[in-house]
Amino acid sequence: MNRYVIIGNGVAGVTAAQSIVRAQPGADLHIYAAEPYPYYRRPQLPDYIAGIVAEAAIFYRPPEWYEQQGIHVHLNAPVVELDPSAYRLRLAGGTSVPYDRLLLATGGLAWVPPIEGADQRGVFTLRTLDDARAIRQFAQFVRQGVVIGGGLLGLETARALRALNLEVTVLEFAPYLMPRQLDREGAAVLEGLLRQMGIQAVTGAVSEAILGDGSVRAVRLKDGREFPADLVVCSTGIRSEVTLARQAGLTVARGVVVDEHLQTSAPDVYAAGDVAEAGGIVYGIVPAAIEQARAAATNMVTPGSITYSGTLPVTTLKVVGAELTSLGECVAEGDDLLQLRRADLQNGRYRKLALRDGRIVGAILLNEREHISPIRQLMESGTDVSAWADLLMEENPDWNRIR
Amino acid sequence: MEKWECMVCGYIYDPAQGDPSRGIPPGTPFEDLPEDWTCPDCGATKDMFEKV
Repeated sequence: MNRYVIIGNGVAGVTAAQSIVRAQPGADLHIYAAEPYPYYRRPQLPDYIAGIVAEAAIFYRPPEWYEQQGIHVHLNAPVVELDPSAYRLRLAGGTSVPYDRLLLATGGLAWVPPIEGADQRGVFTLRTLDDARAIRQFAQFVRQGVVIGGGLLGLETARALRALNLEVTVLEFAPYLMPRQLDREGAAVLEGLLRQMGIQAVTGAVSEAILGDGSVRAVRLKDGREFPADLVVCSTGIRSEVTLARQAGLTVARGVVVDEHLQTSAPDVYAAGDVAEAGGIVYGIVPAAIEQARAAATNMVTPGSITYSGTLPVTTLKVVGAELTSLGECVAEGDDLLQLRRADLQNGRYRKLALRDGRIVGAILLNEREHISPIRQLMESGTDVSAWADLLMEENPDWNRIR
Repeated sequence: MEKWECMVCGYIYDPAQGDPSRGIPPGTPFEDLPEDWTCPDCGATKDMFEKV
Protein backbone atom coordinates (compact mmCIF):
# COMPACT_ATOMS: atom_id res chain seq x y z
CA MET A 1 0.00 0.00 0.00
CA ASN A 2 1.21 3.47 -0.88
CA ARG A 3 2.32 5.74 1.92
CA TYR A 4 1.16 9.31 1.31
CA VAL A 5 2.91 12.16 3.07
CA ILE A 6 1.82 15.80 3.00
CA ILE A 7 4.06 18.58 4.28
CA GLY A 8 1.89 21.48 5.36
CA ASN A 9 -1.40 21.83 7.18
CA GLY A 10 -3.05 24.81 5.52
CA VAL A 11 -5.85 24.90 2.96
CA ALA A 12 -3.83 23.02 0.32
CA GLY A 13 -2.53 20.33 2.70
CA VAL A 14 -5.86 19.63 4.37
CA THR A 15 -7.84 19.71 1.11
CA ALA A 16 -5.41 17.25 -0.50
CA ALA A 17 -5.61 14.95 2.54
CA GLN A 18 -9.41 14.91 2.33
CA SER A 19 -9.28 14.13 -1.38
CA ILE A 20 -6.86 11.25 -0.84
CA VAL A 21 -8.94 9.57 1.86
CA ARG A 22 -12.06 10.08 -0.23
CA ALA A 23 -10.45 8.44 -3.27
CA GLN A 24 -8.83 5.71 -1.22
CA PRO A 25 -10.50 5.07 2.13
CA GLY A 26 -8.07 3.61 4.65
CA ALA A 27 -5.05 5.08 2.85
CA ASP A 28 -1.83 5.35 4.86
CA LEU A 29 -1.73 9.14 5.05
CA HIS A 30 0.37 11.51 7.13
CA ILE A 31 0.45 15.29 7.46
CA TYR A 32 3.56 16.95 8.90
CA ALA A 33 3.03 20.47 10.17
CA ALA A 34 5.69 22.89 11.34
CA GLU A 35 3.21 24.83 13.47
CA PRO A 36 1.87 23.35 16.72
CA TYR A 37 -1.75 23.97 15.73
CA PRO A 38 -4.35 21.97 13.87
CA TYR A 39 -5.80 23.61 10.74
CA TYR A 40 -6.94 27.17 11.33
CA ARG A 41 -8.57 29.78 9.16
CA ARG A 42 -5.81 32.06 8.02
CA PRO A 43 -8.15 34.58 6.34
CA GLN A 44 -9.70 35.26 9.75
CA LEU A 45 -6.46 36.34 11.44
CA PRO A 46 -7.16 40.10 11.03
CA ASP A 47 -10.60 39.59 12.61
CA TYR A 48 -8.94 37.67 15.42
CA ILE A 49 -6.53 40.57 16.02
CA ALA A 50 -9.49 42.96 16.02
CA GLY A 51 -11.23 40.82 18.64
CA ILE A 52 -14.19 40.21 16.31
CA VAL A 53 -13.51 36.47 16.12
CA ALA A 54 -12.45 34.46 19.16
CA GLU A 55 -9.36 32.30 18.90
CA ALA A 56 -11.43 29.16 19.44
CA ALA A 57 -13.53 30.01 16.37
CA ILE A 58 -10.61 30.05 13.95
CA PHE A 59 -9.72 26.48 14.89
CA TYR A 60 -12.17 24.85 12.56
CA ARG A 61 -10.68 21.36 12.65
CA PRO A 62 -9.96 19.98 16.12
CA PRO A 63 -7.22 17.34 16.34
CA GLU A 64 -9.86 14.58 16.62
CA TRP A 65 -11.18 15.50 13.19
CA TYR A 66 -8.02 14.22 11.55
CA GLU A 67 -8.25 10.86 13.27
CA GLN A 68 -11.95 10.56 12.35
CA GLN A 69 -10.96 11.07 8.72
CA GLY A 70 -8.19 8.50 8.98
CA ILE A 71 -5.51 11.18 8.64
CA HIS A 72 -2.42 10.94 10.86
CA VAL A 73 -1.44 14.49 11.71
CA HIS A 74 1.97 15.28 13.22
CA LEU A 75 1.98 18.80 14.67
CA ASN A 76 5.05 20.74 15.69
CA ALA A 77 6.99 18.53 13.31
CA PRO A 78 9.00 20.68 10.88
CA VAL A 79 10.57 18.81 7.97
CA VAL A 80 14.18 19.91 7.60
CA GLU A 81 15.44 17.68 4.82
CA LEU A 82 14.04 15.96 1.77
CA ASP A 83 15.83 13.31 -0.27
CA PRO A 84 13.70 12.57 -3.35
CA SER A 85 16.06 9.86 -4.62
CA ALA A 86 15.76 7.89 -1.36
CA TYR A 87 12.01 8.70 -0.97
CA ARG A 88 12.68 9.94 2.54
CA LEU A 89 12.43 13.07 4.60
CA ARG A 90 13.89 14.02 7.94
CA LEU A 91 12.18 15.84 10.80
CA ALA A 92 13.79 18.47 13.01
CA GLY A 93 14.08 15.90 15.80
CA GLY A 94 16.14 13.62 13.53
CA THR A 95 13.43 11.07 12.72
CA SER A 96 13.56 9.76 9.17
CA VAL A 97 10.21 9.30 7.43
CA PRO A 98 9.67 7.26 4.26
CA TYR A 99 7.07 8.04 1.60
CA ASP A 100 5.83 6.72 -1.71
CA ARG A 101 4.04 9.88 -2.82
CA LEU A 102 4.77 13.28 -1.35
CA LEU A 103 2.94 16.62 -1.48
CA LEU A 104 4.71 19.87 -0.71
CA ALA A 105 2.08 22.24 0.68
CA THR A 106 4.38 24.43 2.73
CA GLY A 107 2.60 27.64 1.73
CA GLY A 108 4.22 31.04 1.88
CA LEU A 109 6.18 33.35 4.13
CA ALA A 110 5.78 37.04 4.77
CA TRP A 111 8.39 38.86 2.74
CA VAL A 112 9.90 42.15 3.89
CA PRO A 113 12.03 44.28 1.58
CA PRO A 114 15.33 45.47 2.99
CA ILE A 115 14.20 48.34 5.25
CA GLU A 116 16.73 49.62 7.75
CA GLY A 117 15.65 49.02 11.34
CA ALA A 118 13.09 46.30 10.59
CA ASP A 119 14.50 44.04 13.32
CA GLN A 120 13.33 46.21 16.22
CA ARG A 121 10.81 45.52 18.93
CA GLY A 122 7.34 46.46 17.75
CA VAL A 123 7.89 45.50 14.11
CA PHE A 124 5.79 42.57 12.89
CA THR A 125 4.65 40.63 9.86
CA LEU A 126 1.33 38.79 9.68
CA ARG A 127 1.16 35.29 8.30
CA THR A 128 0.67 32.83 11.15
CA LEU A 129 -1.46 32.56 14.26
CA ASP A 130 1.64 33.23 16.36
CA ASP A 131 2.16 36.48 14.41
CA ALA A 132 -1.45 37.45 15.03
CA ARG A 133 -1.18 36.67 18.74
CA ALA A 134 1.97 38.76 19.04
CA ILE A 135 0.39 41.74 17.25
CA ARG A 136 -2.79 41.53 19.31
CA GLN A 137 -0.80 41.35 22.54
CA PHE A 138 1.50 44.24 21.66
CA ALA A 139 -1.32 46.42 20.33
CA GLN A 140 -3.01 46.53 23.76
CA PHE A 141 -0.29 48.79 25.08
CA VAL A 142 0.36 51.25 22.26
CA ARG A 143 -1.30 54.17 20.51
CA GLN A 144 0.08 54.59 17.02
CA GLY A 145 0.25 51.91 14.34
CA VAL A 146 1.74 52.04 10.87
CA VAL A 147 1.08 49.39 8.24
CA ILE A 148 3.62 49.28 5.43
CA GLY A 149 1.83 47.95 2.35
CA GLY A 150 -1.69 48.81 1.20
CA GLY A 151 -2.69 45.51 -0.38
CA LEU A 152 -5.63 43.45 0.80
CA LEU A 153 -3.88 42.01 3.86
CA GLY A 154 -2.36 45.37 4.77
CA LEU A 155 -5.74 47.10 4.70
CA GLU A 156 -7.37 44.32 6.71
CA THR A 157 -4.56 44.59 9.25
CA ALA A 158 -5.07 48.36 9.42
CA ARG A 159 -8.76 47.83 10.06
CA ALA A 160 -7.95 45.36 12.85
CA LEU A 161 -5.54 47.77 14.54
CA ARG A 162 -8.10 50.54 14.24
CA ALA A 163 -10.67 48.30 15.95
CA LEU A 164 -8.22 48.15 18.86
CA ASN A 165 -8.34 51.96 18.98
CA LEU A 166 -4.91 52.63 17.56
CA GLU A 167 -4.30 55.61 15.30
CA VAL A 168 -3.49 53.90 12.02
CA THR A 169 -1.60 55.01 8.93
CA VAL A 170 -1.14 52.84 5.84
CA LEU A 171 1.91 53.53 3.70
CA GLU A 172 1.51 52.32 0.11
CA PHE A 173 4.32 52.32 -2.43
CA ALA A 174 2.04 52.54 -5.51
CA PRO A 175 0.50 55.87 -6.60
CA TYR A 176 -2.91 54.64 -5.43
CA LEU A 177 -4.41 51.71 -3.50
CA MET A 178 -4.92 48.27 -5.08
CA PRO A 179 -3.86 49.18 -8.62
CA ARG A 180 -4.65 45.74 -10.00
CA GLN A 181 -8.29 45.92 -8.94
CA LEU A 182 -8.99 49.67 -8.91
CA ASP A 183 -8.40 52.73 -11.05
CA ARG A 184 -7.38 56.05 -9.51
CA GLU A 185 -10.96 57.31 -9.09
CA GLY A 186 -12.10 54.08 -7.46
CA ALA A 187 -9.09 54.11 -5.15
CA ALA A 188 -10.10 57.60 -4.02
CA VAL A 189 -13.49 56.20 -2.94
CA LEU A 190 -11.75 53.41 -1.04
CA GLU A 191 -9.48 55.95 0.64
CA GLY A 192 -12.59 57.84 1.65
CA LEU A 193 -14.01 54.69 3.23
CA LEU A 194 -10.76 54.22 5.14
CA ARG A 195 -10.84 57.84 6.30
CA GLN A 196 -14.36 57.32 7.65
CA MET A 197 -12.95 54.44 9.70
CA GLY A 198 -10.20 56.69 10.97
CA ILE A 199 -7.47 55.12 8.85
CA GLN A 200 -5.13 57.41 6.94
CA ALA A 201 -3.75 56.08 3.65
CA VAL A 202 -0.60 57.65 2.21
CA THR A 203 0.15 56.58 -1.37
CA GLY A 204 3.35 56.94 -3.36
CA ALA A 205 5.04 56.36 -0.02
CA VAL A 206 8.39 54.61 -0.25
CA SER A 207 9.39 53.42 3.22
CA GLU A 208 13.11 53.79 3.73
CA ALA A 209 13.82 53.23 7.40
CA ILE A 210 12.19 52.22 10.64
CA LEU A 211 13.53 54.53 13.31
CA GLY A 212 14.01 53.71 16.97
CA ASP A 213 16.49 52.73 19.62
CA GLY A 214 15.64 49.03 19.72
CA SER A 215 11.95 49.77 20.01
CA VAL A 216 10.26 51.32 17.00
CA ARG A 217 9.55 55.05 17.16
CA ALA A 218 8.69 56.10 13.57
CA VAL A 219 8.82 55.17 9.90
CA ARG A 220 10.76 57.43 7.56
CA LEU A 221 9.97 57.71 3.87
CA LYS A 222 12.46 58.25 1.10
CA ASP A 223 11.16 61.81 0.68
CA GLY A 224 12.05 62.50 4.31
CA ARG A 225 8.56 62.47 5.83
CA GLU A 226 8.28 60.69 9.16
CA PHE A 227 5.27 58.89 10.62
CA PRO A 228 5.36 58.24 14.37
CA ALA A 229 4.71 54.60 15.26
CA ASP A 230 4.73 52.38 18.35
CA LEU A 231 3.84 49.37 16.25
CA VAL A 232 4.65 48.61 12.61
CA VAL A 233 3.24 45.76 10.53
CA CYS A 234 5.09 45.06 7.29
CA SER A 235 2.55 43.73 4.82
CA THR A 236 4.72 43.87 1.76
CA GLY A 237 3.99 40.51 0.21
CA ILE A 238 4.09 36.75 0.51
CA ARG A 239 6.79 34.56 -1.02
CA SER A 240 6.61 30.80 -1.52
CA GLU A 241 8.28 28.79 1.24
CA VAL A 242 10.81 26.99 -0.96
CA THR A 243 13.61 26.29 1.53
CA LEU A 244 12.99 22.54 1.62
CA ALA A 245 12.46 22.28 -2.15
CA ARG A 246 15.75 24.12 -2.82
CA GLN A 247 17.64 21.89 -0.40
CA ALA A 248 16.16 18.83 -2.12
CA GLY A 249 17.35 20.08 -5.52
CA LEU A 250 13.86 20.52 -7.01
CA THR A 251 13.42 23.06 -9.79
CA VAL A 252 12.46 26.36 -8.16
CA ALA A 253 11.66 29.68 -9.80
CA ARG A 254 9.41 32.04 -7.82
CA GLY A 255 7.76 28.92 -6.42
CA VAL A 256 8.35 25.19 -6.77
CA VAL A 257 7.84 24.55 -10.47
CA VAL A 258 5.16 21.95 -11.23
CA ASP A 259 3.93 20.43 -14.48
CA GLU A 260 0.31 20.09 -15.61
CA HIS A 261 -0.09 17.18 -13.18
CA LEU A 262 1.21 19.27 -10.25
CA GLN A 263 4.33 17.12 -10.15
CA THR A 264 7.62 18.80 -9.33
CA SER A 265 10.89 18.04 -11.10
CA ALA A 266 11.27 14.97 -8.84
CA PRO A 267 9.19 11.86 -9.50
CA ASP A 268 6.35 11.23 -7.02
CA VAL A 269 6.85 14.65 -5.42
CA TYR A 270 3.95 17.04 -5.98
CA ALA A 271 3.30 20.63 -4.90
CA ALA A 272 0.12 22.68 -4.43
CA GLY A 273 -1.00 26.01 -3.02
CA ASP A 274 1.10 29.08 -2.28
CA VAL A 275 4.35 27.12 -2.61
CA ALA A 276 3.63 25.96 -6.17
CA GLU A 277 4.35 27.71 -9.44
CA ALA A 278 2.03 26.32 -12.10
CA GLY A 279 2.23 27.55 -15.68
CA GLY A 280 4.62 30.25 -14.52
CA ILE A 281 2.18 31.59 -11.91
CA VAL A 282 2.26 31.54 -8.12
CA TYR A 283 -1.42 32.23 -7.53
CA GLY A 284 -1.52 32.85 -3.79
CA ILE A 285 -5.33 32.66 -3.67
CA VAL A 286 -7.68 30.22 -1.97
CA PRO A 287 -9.47 28.91 -5.08
CA ALA A 288 -6.14 28.00 -6.71
CA ALA A 289 -4.93 26.24 -3.55
CA ILE A 290 -8.10 24.14 -3.48
CA GLU A 291 -8.05 23.30 -7.18
CA GLN A 292 -4.35 22.42 -7.18
CA ALA A 293 -4.63 20.36 -4.00
CA ARG A 294 -7.47 18.29 -5.46
CA ALA A 295 -5.68 17.70 -8.74
CA ALA A 296 -2.41 16.84 -7.01
CA ALA A 297 -4.19 14.42 -4.65
CA THR A 298 -5.95 12.69 -7.53
CA ASN A 299 -2.65 12.30 -9.36
CA MET A 300 -0.91 11.03 -6.23
CA VAL A 301 -3.49 8.24 -6.02
CA THR A 302 -3.59 7.61 -9.80
CA PRO A 303 -0.61 9.24 -11.51
CA GLY A 304 -1.30 11.31 -14.59
CA SER A 305 -5.09 11.11 -14.27
CA ILE A 306 -5.94 14.84 -13.97
CA THR A 307 -4.57 17.86 -15.78
CA TYR A 308 -4.53 21.27 -14.11
CA SER A 309 -4.84 24.15 -16.53
CA GLY A 310 -4.89 27.14 -14.21
CA THR A 311 -7.39 28.97 -12.01
CA LEU A 312 -9.45 31.98 -13.05
CA PRO A 313 -8.59 35.02 -10.95
CA VAL A 314 -11.11 35.92 -8.25
CA THR A 315 -13.38 38.75 -9.28
CA THR A 316 -14.86 39.77 -5.95
CA LEU A 317 -13.02 40.44 -2.74
CA LYS A 318 -13.93 41.95 0.57
CA VAL A 319 -11.74 44.80 1.62
CA VAL A 320 -12.28 46.58 4.94
CA GLY A 321 -15.89 45.45 4.81
CA ALA A 322 -16.48 46.80 1.31
CA GLU A 323 -17.25 44.50 -1.58
CA LEU A 324 -14.98 45.08 -4.55
CA THR A 325 -15.63 43.40 -7.89
CA SER A 326 -13.26 43.79 -10.83
CA LEU A 327 -14.39 42.29 -14.13
CA GLY A 328 -12.66 41.96 -17.49
CA GLU A 329 -10.56 44.93 -18.62
CA CYS A 330 -11.13 46.70 -15.33
CA VAL A 331 -8.02 48.88 -15.25
CA ALA A 332 -7.30 49.10 -18.99
CA GLU A 333 -6.76 52.51 -20.58
CA GLY A 334 -6.97 53.44 -24.25
CA ASP A 335 -8.57 55.64 -26.89
CA ASP A 336 -10.81 52.80 -28.00
CA LEU A 337 -12.39 52.59 -24.54
CA LEU A 338 -15.23 54.74 -23.29
CA GLN A 339 -15.00 54.95 -19.49
CA LEU A 340 -18.21 55.69 -17.60
CA ARG A 341 -17.72 56.49 -13.93
CA ARG A 342 -20.02 57.07 -11.00
CA ALA A 343 -18.43 57.87 -7.63
CA ASP A 344 -20.54 58.24 -4.49
CA LEU A 345 -18.05 59.31 -1.83
CA GLN A 346 -20.76 59.78 0.78
CA ASN A 347 -21.79 56.13 0.66
CA GLY A 348 -18.46 54.70 -0.40
CA ARG A 349 -19.80 53.43 -3.72
CA TYR A 350 -18.11 53.41 -7.10
CA ARG A 351 -19.11 52.10 -10.51
CA LYS A 352 -16.82 52.20 -13.52
CA LEU A 353 -17.78 50.63 -16.82
CA ALA A 354 -15.38 50.38 -19.75
CA LEU A 355 -17.12 50.17 -23.15
CA ARG A 356 -15.58 49.20 -26.47
CA ASP A 357 -17.75 49.48 -29.58
CA GLY A 358 -20.77 49.93 -27.32
CA ARG A 359 -20.16 46.76 -25.35
CA ILE A 360 -19.11 46.52 -21.71
CA VAL A 361 -15.67 44.93 -21.61
CA GLY A 362 -14.61 45.86 -18.09
CA ALA A 363 -16.09 46.96 -14.79
CA ILE A 364 -15.07 48.05 -11.31
CA LEU A 365 -17.82 47.88 -8.71
CA LEU A 366 -17.29 48.97 -5.12
CA ASN A 367 -20.22 48.33 -2.79
CA GLU A 368 -22.50 47.80 -5.78
CA ARG A 369 -23.60 44.33 -4.77
CA GLU A 370 -27.03 44.29 -6.41
CA HIS A 371 -25.66 45.52 -9.77
CA ILE A 372 -22.89 42.95 -10.20
CA SER A 373 -25.06 40.24 -11.64
CA PRO A 374 -26.88 42.37 -14.28
CA ILE A 375 -23.60 43.97 -15.39
CA ARG A 376 -21.91 40.60 -15.64
CA GLN A 377 -24.79 39.38 -17.80
CA LEU A 378 -24.52 42.39 -20.12
CA MET A 379 -20.79 41.73 -20.46
CA GLU A 380 -21.24 38.05 -21.17
CA SER A 381 -24.04 38.57 -23.68
CA GLY A 382 -22.05 41.32 -25.46
CA THR A 383 -25.15 43.52 -25.53
CA ASP A 384 -24.74 46.89 -27.26
CA VAL A 385 -25.46 49.39 -24.48
CA SER A 386 -24.30 52.54 -26.27
CA ALA A 387 -27.85 53.95 -26.30
CA TRP A 388 -28.11 53.56 -22.51
CA ALA A 389 -25.13 55.56 -21.23
CA ASP A 390 -27.31 57.70 -18.93
CA LEU A 391 -29.15 54.73 -17.48
CA LEU A 392 -25.87 52.85 -16.84
CA MET A 393 -24.80 55.64 -14.49
CA GLU A 394 -28.07 56.00 -12.59
CA GLU A 395 -27.91 55.20 -8.90
CA ASN A 396 -30.25 52.24 -9.25
CA PRO A 397 -30.70 51.45 -12.94
CA ASP A 398 -33.65 49.40 -14.08
CA TRP A 399 -31.47 46.88 -15.90
CA ASN A 400 -34.48 45.18 -17.45
CA ARG A 401 -34.96 48.18 -19.75
CA ILE A 402 -31.79 47.27 -21.64
CA ARG A 403 -32.70 44.75 -24.27
CA MET B 1 -33.61 26.43 5.96
CA GLU B 2 -30.09 25.49 6.98
CA LYS B 3 -27.11 27.81 7.01
CA TRP B 4 -23.80 26.61 5.60
CA GLU B 5 -20.34 27.71 6.64
CA CYS B 6 -17.17 28.10 4.58
CA MET B 7 -14.43 25.90 6.00
CA VAL B 8 -11.74 28.24 4.72
CA CYS B 9 -12.82 31.70 5.83
CA GLY B 10 -15.90 31.36 8.03
CA TYR B 11 -18.39 33.04 5.65
CA ILE B 12 -21.91 31.80 6.37
CA TYR B 13 -24.38 31.28 3.56
CA ASP B 14 -27.82 32.21 4.83
CA PRO B 15 -30.62 31.06 2.49
CA ALA B 16 -32.85 33.82 3.85
CA GLN B 17 -30.49 36.35 2.27
CA GLY B 18 -29.27 34.48 -0.78
CA ASP B 19 -26.27 35.96 -2.59
CA PRO B 20 -27.40 39.10 -4.44
CA SER B 21 -23.94 39.68 -5.94
CA ARG B 22 -24.35 36.52 -8.03
CA GLY B 23 -28.02 37.00 -8.67
CA ILE B 24 -29.03 34.35 -6.10
CA PRO B 25 -32.43 35.47 -4.71
CA PRO B 26 -33.33 35.27 -1.02
CA GLY B 27 -34.94 31.95 -0.14
CA THR B 28 -32.53 29.83 -2.20
CA PRO B 29 -31.47 26.70 -0.26
CA PHE B 30 -27.74 25.94 -0.30
CA GLU B 31 -28.39 22.72 -2.20
CA ASP B 32 -29.93 24.70 -5.07
CA LEU B 33 -26.92 26.98 -5.59
CA PRO B 34 -25.25 26.37 -8.96
CA GLU B 35 -22.34 23.91 -8.79
CA ASP B 36 -19.92 26.64 -9.88
CA TRP B 37 -21.01 28.99 -7.10
CA THR B 38 -18.11 29.98 -4.85
CA CYS B 39 -17.67 31.64 -1.47
CA PRO B 40 -18.23 35.38 -1.93
CA ASP B 41 -15.51 36.17 0.61
CA CYS B 42 -12.64 33.83 -0.29
CA GLY B 43 -13.60 32.03 -3.49
CA ALA B 44 -13.68 28.52 -1.99
CA THR B 45 -15.76 26.03 -3.98
CA LYS B 46 -19.23 24.90 -2.90
CA ASP B 47 -18.02 21.55 -1.55
CA MET B 48 -15.80 23.35 0.97
CA PHE B 49 -18.96 24.30 2.86
CA GLU B 50 -20.42 22.43 5.79
CA LYS B 51 -23.79 22.64 7.46
CA VAL B 52 -23.76 24.89 10.53
